[in-house]
Amino acid sequence: MNNRLVITGISVLSSIGVNKDEFWINLTNGASGIKDITLFDVSKYNSKKAGEITDFDAKEYLGKKGIRHIDRTSLLVSSAAKLAMEDANITHETYGADELGIVIGSTYGSIDSISSFDLEGLKEGPTFVNPMEFPNTVLNAPASRVSIFCNATGLNSTISTGTASGLDAIIYASDFLRLGRGKAVVAGGVHGLTPDVFWGAYRSGILSGSRNGDIEISAPFDKRRNGFIIGEAAALLVIERLEDALERNAKIYAEIKGYGCTFNPDKVSRDHIDTTQGVRCISIAMKDAGINSEDISYISACANSSMTGDIMEARIIKDYFGDNADKVPVSAIKSMTGECLDASGSLQCVAGVLAINNGIIPPTINYQEKDEECNLDCVPNNSRESEVNNVLINSFSDTGNISAVIISKYS
Amino acid sequence: MDKRIVITGLGVISPIGNQKDLFWDALISGTSGVSEVTSFDTSPFKVHKGCFVKDFNYDDYTKNGSSREIGKGSQFAIAAAKLAIEDSNIGLNNIDPERAGVSIGTTAGEIQILEKVNYIRHEKGEDSVDPGLFLMHPCVNMPSNISIEFGFKGPSTIIPTACAAGNYAIGYACDLIKLGRADIMLAGGSDPFSKVAFVGFSRLNAIAPDICQPFDKNRKGLLVGEGAGMLVLESLEGALARNANIYAEILGYGLSCDGYHITIPHPEGNGVTSAMEKALINAKIRPEDVQYMSAHGTGTVANDKAETISIKKVFGKHAKNLAISSIKSMLGHTMGAASAIEAIACALAIKEGVVPPTINYETKDPECDLDFVPNVKREMRVDIAMNNAYAFGGNNSSLILKKFTD
Repeated sequence: MNNRLVITGISVLSSIGVNKDEFWINLTNGASGIKDITLFDVSKYNSKKAGEITDFDAKEYLGKKGIRHIDRTSLLVSSAAKLAMEDANITHETYGADELGIVIGSTYGSIDSISSFDLEGLKEGPTFVNPMEFPNTVLNAPASRVSIFCNATGLNSTISTGTASGLDAIIYASDFLRLGRGKAVVAGGVHGLTPDVFWGAYRSGILSGSRNGDIEISAPFDKRRNGFIIGEAAALLVIERLEDALERNAKIYAEIKGYGCTFNPDKVSRDHIDTTQGVRCISIAMKDAGINSEDISYISACANSSMTGDIMEARIIKDYFGDNADKVPVSAIKSMTGECLDASGSLQCVAGVLAINNGIIPPTINYQEKDEECNLDCVPNNSRESEVNNVLINSFSDTGNISAVIISKYS
Repeated sequence: MDKRIVITGLGVISPIGNQKDLFWDALISGTSGVSEVTSFDTSPFKVHKGCFVKDFNYDDYTKNGSSREIGKGSQFAIAAAKLAIEDSNIGLNNIDPERAGVSIGTTAGEIQILEKVNYIRHEKGEDSVDPGLFLMHPCVNMPSNISIEFGFKGPSTIIPTACAAGNYAIGYACDLIKLGRADIMLAGGSDPFSKVAFVGFSRLNAIAPDICQPFDKNRKGLLVGEGAGMLVLESLEGALARNANIYAEILGYGLSCDGYHITIPHPEGNGVTSAMEKALINAKIRPEDVQYMSAHGTGTVANDKAETISIKKVFGKHAKNLAISSIKSMLGHTMGAASAIEAIACALAIKEGVVPPTINYETKDPECDLDFVPNVKREMRVDIAMNNAYAFGGNNSSLILKKFTD
């Protein structure tokens, strides 16, 4: 890589903390953000829990004016963007507004707004829908709202690769900076909890507790797992080229050392798990980073407590790391936050950045029963002090998208 | 990083013709794609027209028939991609699947699926909805379906930056090749007709009653359209090695954001100006080097006025020399597909030495006083074309194509 990229700001709004310090304390203490849903009525469903953010008030971040018609996903990400820029000590004037970009991973967060608009037309008649709600129906609305709140008039893009969106947004931003197309990019993912996506996932039977009698638990790699629990979050990074960050004397959290994306076109099922593209993706990222498998201090897993997905990730790790697979700590923070969909990859990045800076690896909580098919060192239940130099972050989406990013201690 | 990127295959599904040659003939003859909306009842509205893809049968484009159920956005995109791959003459078997990827843009993804889900929910209750149907909706299905169809294992992504999405997707595909992350990219945009968009734009009084008249003094709005445009992109060295037919080179692009208002364009066109300027810098050319511009030209009062102002700002005196057309006058606004289809029009204009007209142009608007190639195509040499697209959310994009020379 000829342009070194560094992370100079982070922000997180999550069910286990609405600022980076609170998030980190809870994450390393193994606190769970999963609780009964209060945002909408789930009384008729077997699944009732989510990683809901209960202490988020958009007014605190964005002021009172003009936010009435903006949906939850957009409010979360706009607030997180303000926090990230503050953390990076950057404004639209630092490099000029045209050099400040926004890249947001968002696939599912706008669906409820689109449906509400559409259903209102069906119920009340199409000429009665409120045109003020129409802008929420475009999938790029969250990123656009950020640009307005943050005066960012450079690049503004949205990536919608499902669960890989958050990580893919960071990759897209990195590509953009590598090619010298801008100076600073605020990048990451967001997912605001909505009844539509909960309903869709529930009806598909992929949520934990959706079958009568199942316990409702987010227990990645644990034998008792039976599906995922949805979470909501916004997690963003401020990324710059090293030379620019040094010149403005920025605090450097970590370096984005390498990344890769592949796609698995074959349908994955419990009886058919092909690890080829997952392994290839990690290889591409490692090669890009110029490091070897023994250099990885910690893997931030995408495991979300799903039956097949967790096995697939465990196998990919074993296939790539071979004899080293037992020695690498692999933890799944989704055990605490739930599956935050579009936000998950960037949330893992924020956790990885904090792990590097604090020398602590967060745990996989709710781990009780070993599953022979996922027998990795998943840092069960308690965080671990350890020097963290290179973190591998995985995002494997059900849609076939596979992405991996390596972030490293800056030196 | 200095890799040059070229276009070697074109595929179109559009309201005025499916397949590149049929599309091009219709385009330079000034064909209108407008018809009545028949897919839902428009009687509660003041407007009733749209631009629809005609004679489209997805099974014609899949070898084994449509074995998997997919949304219409994916069908359009796959059909256009098939046509583009055929047109590139590369042969699917000669593509290394691990080095091939997909980058597509959209406004609303598989919106017709969600509209169907909502209709069932409204009519019969939510328990009647097949959960599989709901899962077909999220727009990530679109690039995934394309990658699955062709067995591609390289990066597969979707950029839903609304009405500018095609340009964004093409730009990113170029970057992926430049950075060595892929060798061949299928890039473009796709959108099926969206009732949500029709309802929304009609509530904003932005839909024209009969025809779309970009830059005309009496323009009355846009027409919602549908379609897909897909391009085969590869590095110049790859294209030369296989002796490919090169339509044009992609010289660069520029992106910006108004950061002003979610639906209203910046009145002075600030973001738009910045996107064009960035594209010129990225392409390392001067404004005077551009001969043809495919304008965003939606046909709304606000867009066309702001766009004219910004063209003048960027091009100065040369603005008057530019041949500018809005093919939305013929196709309507095909949303996320629009800028991809317009990029195809630019590539063909360069290749054929003909620029398509802006049809329905009757009355000159003193606020839009440039050369919009009114009503009739023009034969002219085009060395460099600029393709502009703007979107809800203030997302602006400008792509620059050049006649290929060594």
